[in-house]
Amino acid sequence: MSTTQWNPGSHLVSPDGKWYWDGISQEWKPVVKEAKAEASQTPPTAPTPTTKSRGLDSFVGTIRSEDLASGQTVLVWARWILIGTGLLLSFWTPKDLLTLQVQLAAIIALAFGNFYLHVQLLRGRPALDNVVYGASIADIAVVTALVLVQGGYPSPVFIFYFAAIVGISVAFPTVLTAGYTALVVGVYGIISLATATTDEYPAVFIRLLTIAAVAVCGNLFARHEAERRADAIRRHTETLDEIGQKSSTGGQPDVEHS
Amino acid sequence: MSNTREVRTAKQAEEEDVFFGQTVIMWARWSVIVAGIALVLWTSTNVALLTQTMPFFLVLMAVNFFLHGRFVMGSPLNRTVVTVASVIDIVLITAIVVLWPGSHGLNNQFYVLYMPVVFAFALVFTRKIEVAYTVFAILAYAGACVLTGTVPFDLGNEDKILVMRLIVIAAMGFLGNYYFRIQRDRLARASKGATRWASSTASRV
Repeated sequence: MSTTQWNPGSHLVSPDGKWYWDGISQEWKPVVKEAKAEASQTPPTAPTPTTKSRGLDSFVGTIRSEDLASGQTVLVWARWILIGTGLLLSFWTPKDLLTLQVQLAAIIALAFGNFYLHVQLLRGRPALDNVVYGASIADIAVVTALVLVQGGYPSPVFIFYFAAIVGISVAFPTVLTAGYTALVVGVYGIISLATATTDEYPAVFIRLLTIAAVAVCGNLFARHEAERRADAIRRHTETLDEIGQKSSTGGQPDVEHS
Repeated sequence: MSNTREVRTAKQAEEEDVFFGQTVIMWARWSVIVAGIALVLWTSTNVALLTQTMPFFLVLMAVNFFLHGRFVMGSPLNRTVVTVASVIDIVLITAIVVLWPGSHGLNNQFYVLYMPVVFAFALVFTRKIEVAYTVFAILAYAGACVLTGTVPFDLGNEDKILVMRLIVIAAMGFLGNYYFRIQRDRLARASKGATRWASSTASRV
């Protein structure tokens, strides 16, 4: 247990406001003193306006950093798929030395970054939000670099944008998902329009639209699940309250408060 | 994945998953419909072409109007009907890949429509059903490419492109269902009154 002072303005706080992320010791710690915390552990509830943190809560109130932590595993696996497939395909009929060099350098750099993120998850320490955001930018940058090296629109590797967007859509809140998707659609759209012929514009359109569709589906599902969880927590809390009331009145109806 | 005991029965959980997940499948299908209709109207050069291609999307539209209407009315369809509708999606997309005038099989750019459909399905159903559906989509697309003679099987560039596309379709299914299982676990914890919120992250990896 470190002696770090808890300050709600500078720490990532759990949805119930009872845990905070100690970045120095890399641990979740109770906001209140430990003895009290053990006695008063309750299920997480929706974040209150007073417990804003540096994490995702600062962007969207209903989405919590725990969502990022659980979605991060999907991001990590999506990246491993990208890396594995990229390596396999790089060695499959390579065209020229420069292309192969760029491909391997980008993929290996991504593999090192992903290894770090995966190790953090295995140790139960989700990486800092900004690192996760940066890694997703790197995914998009690597796929874009591969697309550019292979001539833009004709490059078949654009489909790896799908894997990247899947992870982003389920891990990030709506605002950030929209931002990342707009980035992919914008960058790939410009590259494609610059390198495709007029006859190929419909194909460009369908690629961009399906990338956006995947992002919408993933984020829609994540939001629904967050609502379902919040509802389940609320019902659980209500049940606990009822049990508490019954036990305090000895199982008799609380006439005074009813 | 931890073995948290569900408060709900398995049947209740599955019904809820289909109810809440159905909307994702419907939106994925709407995206396919919008993309298809826009392309048909954009690329048609004569009346015959338009009348040959538009029916694919009209069928999908009819299916989705029915499903979405039932959902909005508060009586969504059961998992069998949702599964059948999703199978129809794959069949129609494969038919487009095979029969689309001008470009067939591997050269047809409509294959990207598999991505949202497979991903949305994987977010709703349990692992076995999802695996079966994803394998069906993979076989359908591979079959379409082979049937149209656009894959030479010489381990050349075309084969490489086909393998790449199949891997990404499989990845859509895997990642979607992986996230689905994470969410099931989280919901189970929430229902149970997750007191170990802070230490739950490691168990999901």
